[in-house]
Amino acid sequence: MPDTIFYQITCFLENAKRMARTAEVVPFVIVVILIITLAIVFLPRSPATQMSREVIVYTSVDQVYSEPVFHEFENQTGIKVLPVYDVEATKTTGLVNRLIAEKNRPQADVFWSAEFGQTILLKNQNILSPYMTPSGSDIPRQYKDPEGYWTGFGGRARVFIINTDRLTTDQYPHSIYDMLDSEYTGNSMGIAYPMFGTTSTQAAALYSLLGTEKAKSFYTRLYERGVRVVDGNSVVRDLVASGQLSFGLTDTDDACGAIERGDHVAIVIPDQQDSDIGTLFIPDTVALIAGSPHPDEGKVFIDYVLSRPTEESLFLAGWLQIPSRNISVPAPCINNTAIKLMNVSYQDVYLGFEPARKDLIEIFIR
Amino acid sequence: MREMNRSQHFIRKYFSGISLSTVIHIAAIIIFFWLVFSPVIGLIAEAIRTSLSGSSDLISPFNLSGRRIGLLFSSISLATLVATAGILVGTLVATFLWRKFRSFAPVILLLLLALAGIPPYIHALTWLDVFAAIHAYFPLFPVSGWLPSAWVDLMALLPIAIFLCWVAFASVDVRLIEAARVFRPDMTVFYRIILPLAAPALGAAFGFLFLICCTDYSVPSLFGADIYALDIFARFSATGSATQAFLYAVPLLLVTIIVIFLSRSGIRTLAQTPNWLSDRWGNPPVFPWYYRLLQGIAAGIVILQILVLFSGLILSTSTLGTFFGSVFRSSDELVYTLLIAASVILVSLPLAIAVAGEMKKPGIRGSFAWCIALAPLAIPAPLIGIGMITFWNNPSLAAVYPGILMPVFAAVARFAPFAAIILYVQMRFIDPAFFEAAEIFSRSPWKKWSRVRLPLLAPGLLVSAGILATLSLAELGATLIVAPPGHTTMTIRIYNYIHYGASGEVAGLCLAITLLTLAAGICAIAALQWLYRRSGNMVFYCGSDGE
Repeated sequence: MPDTIFYQITCFLENAKRMARTAEVVPFVIVVILIITLAIVFLPRSPATQMSREVIVYTSVDQVYSEPVFHEFENQTGIKVLPVYDVEATKTTGLVNRLIAEKNRPQADVFWSAEFGQTILLKNQNILSPYMTPSGSDIPRQYKDPEGYWTGFGGRARVFIINTDRLTTDQYPHSIYDMLDSEYTGNSMGIAYPMFGTTSTQAAALYSLLGTEKAKSFYTRLYERGVRVVDGNSVVRDLVASGQLSFGLTDTDDACGAIERGDHVAIVIPDQQDSDIGTLFIPDTVALIAGSPHPDEGKVFIDYVLSRPTEESLFLAGWLQIPSRNISVPAPCINNTAIKLMNVSYQDVYLGFEPARKDLIEIFIR
Repeated sequence: MREMNRSQHFIRKYFSGISLSTVIHIAAIIIFFWLVFSPVIGLIAEAIRTSLSGSSDLISPFNLSGRRIGLLFSSISLATLVATAGILVGTLVATFLWRKFRSFAPVILLLLLALAGIPPYIHALTWLDVFAAIHAYFPLFPVSGWLPSAWVDLMALLPIAIFLCWVAFASVDVRLIEAARVFRPDMTVFYRIILPLAAPALGAAFGFLFLICCTDYSVPSLFGADIYALDIFARFSATGSATQAFLYAVPLLLVTIIVIFLSRSGIRTLAQTPNWLSDRWGNPPVFPWYYRLLQGIAAGIVILQILVLFSGLILSTSTLGTFFGSVFRSSDELVYTLLIAASVILVSLPLAIAVAGEMKKPGIRGSFAWCIALAPLAIPAPLIGIGMITFWNNPSLAAVYPGILMPVFAAVARFAPFAAIILYVQMRFIDPAFFEAAEIFSRSPWKKWSRVRLPLLAPGLLVSAGILATLSLAELGATLIVAPPGHTTMTIRIYNYIHYGASGEVAGLCLAITLLTLAAGICAIAALQWLYRRSGNMVFYCGSDGE
């Protein structure tokens, strides 16, 4: 008996029992029990184990605007929305990179983006699934992917936000090229890092529209002028609103937010003359994720977001300033009836991303 | 038959002496390795996969251009400046507290540490307004660039810096100090005895501050100061390739590992003292006027930081209604965030105790444990998140990813090594004779733990828990990538409100985080008092360290 393996195992178990009586396992056991308790209490709420109807939405639309849409959708359909939000501090690229990392086992059903560049990137990475939504039938064709991988709707535009205490009306800039004008000192103007977010989308559009050389020259001169490059469009807004900058480039939602707060600012839509290039319009985009866990619910959600009432509610809430369809409600902060938009296709803008980012990293991070 | 005898011999030789405590110890090390290294394993696996498929450029990240070398130099310079200033101010404030507020020093330290739970970005936004106000009167005063960035980084890290300096000085045996004070003036004792003996721990504190500063681009980017971490993130953003970003991070990773290894060699020489929160001096020290002046300036900087932060937050919050409203609307996020912080502490501490024990081991075993603890520290937070997805997102782990525990695992992966290092230092302080005596004389294992082991480890556990809680509360980059659908943390909500421009909501939530951290700290101090009650040794007792 002493020579058998069973004897050895018995010895080990006896030893273990003795140690369990005498040993330092008490705190470990307490910790394990606590963790298991926490897990038992909360795991049932986890989507992986919950079987009720739900839809998982990854969104870079601000929580304050998207949350009411989710609640209304839940009330109307009974489908629970489990959102994951992106934030400007991570340059709103966190969720796109997450979707790429999850490609082999997708967790999201829908990607609702505040712009289009990242959505096209996802399409090219084979992460999206085509879905032609019936509720988007009245959305103009230029806002839709021809193959139905994504659909755009109302959005924002790139604008100047101007501090009215620092500049008089006749001093307002009217073109992005005015940023190269010696009338304005470099450190009185601001832009967000042009490698991220909608500032990067604008750069890609310029690369596509003007060509690599002219666009690179524009950004190089901007950098050499000492323009203040900050962490995001909301920071540009806040620096202009507080008077630290005379003006800066930002999005309409940021600029309108400052006007609603009562800050001493004005909005100028750049490049609106006949000979000008117009301003970039950045629509929201919605897309279904390929191989998603709840594709049917995802389609219901896409139908809901792209419906006219939802676009109107987002317009009224202040998230969208330029609707994709005729909306009877007047815009709260800008006159959006005759805006000259940049004449460039979204696919062309997407193609401008790679050369633009490559150059801009070299120009602006040094 | 012969084969069977061989196998029995093997089992008897290698397994018969294994006790359950050894099994638990090994299991804890494996779990630590698994959790802390999982993002690195995920990133390496992704790198291998992409290199095999030929879909990623794996060469250019190692081509260090002049621009990238410049960025690396900028990062190192900024981190060195901030860490050095942090140690200087921390030293002056710690000695100021001995001189002026000896009885309340731990309480003041706790109050300061509570500020560390506020995301650095909030410190930066608050200081941005101050700089603008100064700039309005003094146009030459810089509002962007390296100096404002370094200042704000310093202000954000100041609570942790002071706390670590206090711990560093408390590592010096008080009997050596008292013996020296008989023969020499206090200032000479400080220069010749205390500073040299505390230097290793101060070096560790420097490494800690250096590391945090080196990997965070949020504050420098707000002031237009470009550092290497921003370049990594820009590459990640541009390419969407975690592999490329990971390889771009390698030079920064090497620098930070070197710094911590240098700190580590210092930590190994620490003197022994069992109580980090005890006073260092029998009587209040007498310092010369110039040193008192410097202390006054340092204390003034701390007060200024508190005033700027709280006046900014309170002015923004404006009314109690705003404060309670913002907290009420974020109650789900608040509960989830607190659960994450508590779980991070609960998971990290037992594992860190095991790894700290290994770090004490001499030779290759100890070095291996140090490698485990240090290697993941310099990886930027978003890459930790991506690495975790690559590792955890597979069908066999469906219950884990994308479950609610993922933010806990992400925070453990980022911060548990800090706890291991702190507990290692604490273990160096403890005379092994205490443990041996407890083994022999304790009547029961419970009493051995409750009366000997836990009280001796308690200060280290408390410090680790405090650091883990504050870092977890402010974590954003990795949490955002792995947050389960339907759950958001306070920090994510705060950053959402920042973009929206709701300064009242942001301020209210920051105040709530500060108050909660403070409450947790007070509970921890009370628990420590309770642990020490039987020995008749109050934590704040200002006497010898004979306990």
